[in-house]
Amino acid sequence: MNAPVRIDLKDPSSFPSRRVEAWKYTDLYRWLRETPPASPEGAVEPGGPFAALGGEELTFVNGRCDGFAGIVAEGEGLTPVRLRFVSTAEGAGHQARVTIDVKPGASLTLLESYEGPARGYVSNISLDITVGEGARLTRVIVAEDAADAIGISQAHITLAHGATLHQSAFTAGGKLQRLETQVEHPGHGAFVRLDAAYALHDARHADLTSVVDHQGPDGRTSQLTKGVVHDTARGVFQGKIIVERGADGTDARMGHHALILSERGEIDAKPELIIYADDVQCAHGNTVGSLDQNALFYMQQRGIPFEEARALLTHAFLMEVVDRVEHEGAREVVREWLTARL
Amino acid sequence: MAAVQETIDAVAALEKYEHGFTSDIEQEFAPKGLNADIVRFISEKKCEPEWMLEWRLAAFERWQAMEEPTWASVKYEPIDYQDLYYYAAPKEKDGPKSLDEVDPELLAVYAKLGIPLKEQEVLAGVQGAPRVAVDAVFDSVSVVTTFKAELAKVGVIFMPISEALREHPELVRQYLGSVVPVSDNYFSALNSAVFSDGSFVYIPPGVRCPMELSTYFRINASQTGQFERTLIIADKGSYVSYLEGCTAPMRDENQLHAAVVEIIALDDAEVKYSTVQNWYPGDAEGKGGIYNFVTKRADCRGDRSKVSWTQVETGSAITWKYPSCLLKGEESSGEFYSIAITNGRQQADTGTKMVHLGKNSRSRIIAKAVSAGRSDSTYRGLVSVHPKATGVRNFTQCDSLLIGKECGSHTVPYIEARNGSAQLEHEATTTRLSEDQLFYAQQRGLSEEEAVALLVNGFVRDVLQELPMEFAVEAQKLVAISLEGSVG
Amino acid sequence: MLKINNLRVSVGDKPILKGLTLDVPAGEVHAVMGPNGAGKSTLGYALSGRPGYEASEGSVSWNGDDLLALDPAERAAKGVFLSFQYPLEIPGVPAMTFIRTALNAQKRARGEDEVSAPAFLKLVKAASQSLKMDFDMLKRPLNVGFSGGEKKRMEILQMALLEPSLLILDETDSGLDIDALRIVADGVNAMRSPERSMLVITHYQRLLDYIKPDRVHVLVGGRIVASGGPELAHQLEAEGYDQFLPEAA
Repeated sequence: MNAPVRIDLKDPSSFPSRRVEAWKYTDLYRWLRETPPASPEGAVEPGGPFAALGGEELTFVNGRCDGFAGIVAEGEGLTPVRLRFVSTAEGAGHQARVTIDVKPGASLTLLESYEGPARGYVSNISLDITVGEGARLTRVIVAEDAADAIGISQAHITLAHGATLHQSAFTAGGKLQRLETQVEHPGHGAFVRLDAAYALHDARHADLTSVVDHQGPDGRTSQLTKGVVHDTARGVFQGKIIVERGADGTDARMGHHALILSERGEIDAKPELIIYADDVQCAHGNTVGSLDQNALFYMQQRGIPFEEARALLTHAFLMEVVDRVEHEGAREVVREWLTARL
Repeated sequence: MAAVQETIDAVAALEKYEHGFTSDIEQEFAPKGLNADIVRFISEKKCEPEWMLEWRLAAFERWQAMEEPTWASVKYEPIDYQDLYYYAAPKEKDGPKSLDEVDPELLAVYAKLGIPLKEQEVLAGVQGAPRVAVDAVFDSVSVVTTFKAELAKVGVIFMPISEALREHPELVRQYLGSVVPVSDNYFSALNSAVFSDGSFVYIPPGVRCPMELSTYFRINASQTGQFERTLIIADKGSYVSYLEGCTAPMRDENQLHAAVVEIIALDDAEVKYSTVQNWYPGDAEGKGGIYNFVTKRADCRGDRSKVSWTQVETGSAITWKYPSCLLKGEESSGEFYSIAITNGRQQADTGTKMVHLGKNSRSRIIAKAVSAGRSDSTYRGLVSVHPKATGVRNFTQCDSLLIGKECGSHTVPYIEARNGSAQLEHEATTTRLSEDQLFYAQQRGLSEEEAVALLVNGFVRDVLQELPMEFAVEAQKLVAISLEGSVG
Repeated sequence: MLKINNLRVSVGDKPILKGLTLDVPAGEVHAVMGPNGAGKSTLGYALSGRPGYEASEGSVSWNGDDLLALDPAERAAKGVFLSFQYPLEIPGVPAMTFIRTALNAQKRARGEDEVSAPAFLKLVKAASQSLKMDFDMLKRPLNVGFSGGEKKRMEILQMALLEPSLLILDETDSGLDIDALRIVADGVNAMRSPERSMLVITHYQRLLDYIKPDRVHVLVGGRIVASGGPELAHQLEAEGYDQFLPEAA
């Protein structure tokens, strides 16, 4: 059900246009019609946005990571794995496929980053992730593609009974950027938290698409996405929650709230509930708008100038997503990262 | 569906006309299939002006080049459009001879709805039952005459669209297809080519239509064919409330219904359009039910104009319907209140589009879906705000109630905001009927079915309140009847 | 001194204030009483500069400054404080952060030194104690999930810390029980000083038992129709506003 569109940079017929329903708001075909020249090898210094948190660093430069054979997590992973995707080749394309296996009972903190710094690249990353019985994956993502680059990341995550997934994605977009997450949710005590925040300027585009497919009883999902757009930026949220026949007792909540802080910003949202079981509690809420004018006036009345009041409210608005990041170190890194992009 | 089969059999004799068919205006039937000659035949039967025929032929040409849409969450056997009749007046001898021959289950439903015997005959299609002789059917002595006199006094035009084409061609020509263009979608193109009849309403400037245009249409409804066409024009500062449909299950010989309704609201005009749709949903296995593929759209082109759609959808095997509002006028406003109840094998994919083009335009959507049995129900809606539309407000609430383990209920909203001053709010919930509440009601002495009816009526109350009084009471009963046998 | 002269304000197309004239000298407390719909809240909003409540005519000067020419934050920096009838909830912004940001913004605007974090903490602790407020409440997002009484106390706390010179209390007693009312009134009374002016907007006389006004004005139909001493408030309480309504005139 709902198999994602698999993009292969070598095969232009796999580039979805807006006629493909799931890519309605992210028209890859408009920007990419032919296979881009292949990116050369590259090298970067260790680092990345999560560098201060230590742990193991795995860096893909232009889609390559020497000797990489997938991540296998066993036992309690006390130190995080920093998985970096760095693009250094201008005007070229690269892709990579990464497998991550969190063994039963294990836990893994994955700090993932999509970094430029080159111009005009096309980066296409796919991740196949399995989280075993009773295992736990914390995935914190920061993504900032170059203003003229295309970045696509598609993760397919399969959870076993009792598994926990905590995912929080933070993005500043790109020319065309899509962060897609497909979750096979078995129910039976498995828990999914799927959060995201976007802060977009200029003509940037970020698309946060997710599908959580509840296949067994008693699954829980909690999803919160918030975003702000400035200038002519465009934020896209597509969240689909499926509850299949027999997945009774599912409790799934999804919220998307966005602010347009300019005349010409754009938000497109499609929060879907597809329900085939009756004993469920499912809800979604979606709001799009400008800042609360009454709150703005209240702050100004207390002497806070308009711009400052607006910044304070916007910051508070997005930080709700940051506050939900459980890993303390990552939380503070992300807080700073996002604040710098407001 | 037996009735469909009967019709097919009864008209089978006409197959001989298939070859060398000519436009004989004395002919009551067109042979099966659809081609330009059939379109000409229909136009000629209706004594239409030349431009209308051209319009239909252009629509037919567009339709031929189009493909049937597949995006809705409904599944059905492919329709063979060449295996249908596009012009066939219902044959008297098709129907049962008296109510004794009518399916007792159908009669039981009529009894529950409190429908008078005479009216039951009409609904059940009993031979010889009056079709247009209004006074025999309804309580009022001569509804049509009374209505016509009263409406004429204030200048309201209310007549079959075929008649309007002859009497008010300038009005029809100006507005027909101006809201739903011929090529808007597959079914609207088909309707434009072959529509047989429907209603035409014109409310002059400043006139508040003195009555709900309802009862009259109810009579009309038994005569309108499968491709109904309705055109409502509310001139500046006018108001009209229009009621379509019938709470009783209609015996119907056409399996495919593809109606088009166009509403135009000029400055300060207000139109309230209410529908109760309870066509045959098919048997327990879902066989024989009506396919209801409707295009309804209002053009709020005037400043401060307002259109409100209210619908109670309980019938049909398949419903595909999105009454929409193009909010072009400044401070124009659109509302959509919907109850969709599916049971058995029914499938409904319904919702609305609120397209905000005018400054400070407002919209409000309240959609309640109740799914039971093995049915499937989808709310599909669009709220879009164009870049120049400042100060737009929308509130959307979609609630789904599931009864039983084999039904489905889906919510697919599209929200597209391209102006920073918009405030759009959307909420959706999906829950099942509360066992605690059911038990509570039963403990106080209600039977299980009564308890379900009570709770479901509570669930849809916000929308029922939007219906005109006389419809609301019947709709409430209908809600209960539609869900019979859904629990236990 | 606050001088309001012939103030006219429309909300949407509807004229609300229709030529209101009123002076409040420094050091005085004036009550503005009136029935529902008289324009009481509009007066508070117009003085504090809420968008949509702009004056179409008239003038407002505060200690010589033309208030109407300033934006809301600038007015606040000049000492204007409106205690809201329904204080706003500000999710995600802790009360302390909010107040400190406001205080320092005002100080900056006035060319004064900002208050350091430790100094501010001290101020807040003292103020919250005197208002009998749980200090932990100040760490929570401003007013989010607070009761009506707690919100009003939070308004008075802000007033105490921001030290405004023109206090406008808009229906401050609504939703307060007697104990809360007393605490709030004590907080307001503690602010009385020869440099401050106060405008107490209220429907009922009750609040004026706790905050004693020097003068009482009756606002009906967008104008001050009568002024007098504190006894006027008692008269209104006994006889109602009927005598001032246009029908009675």
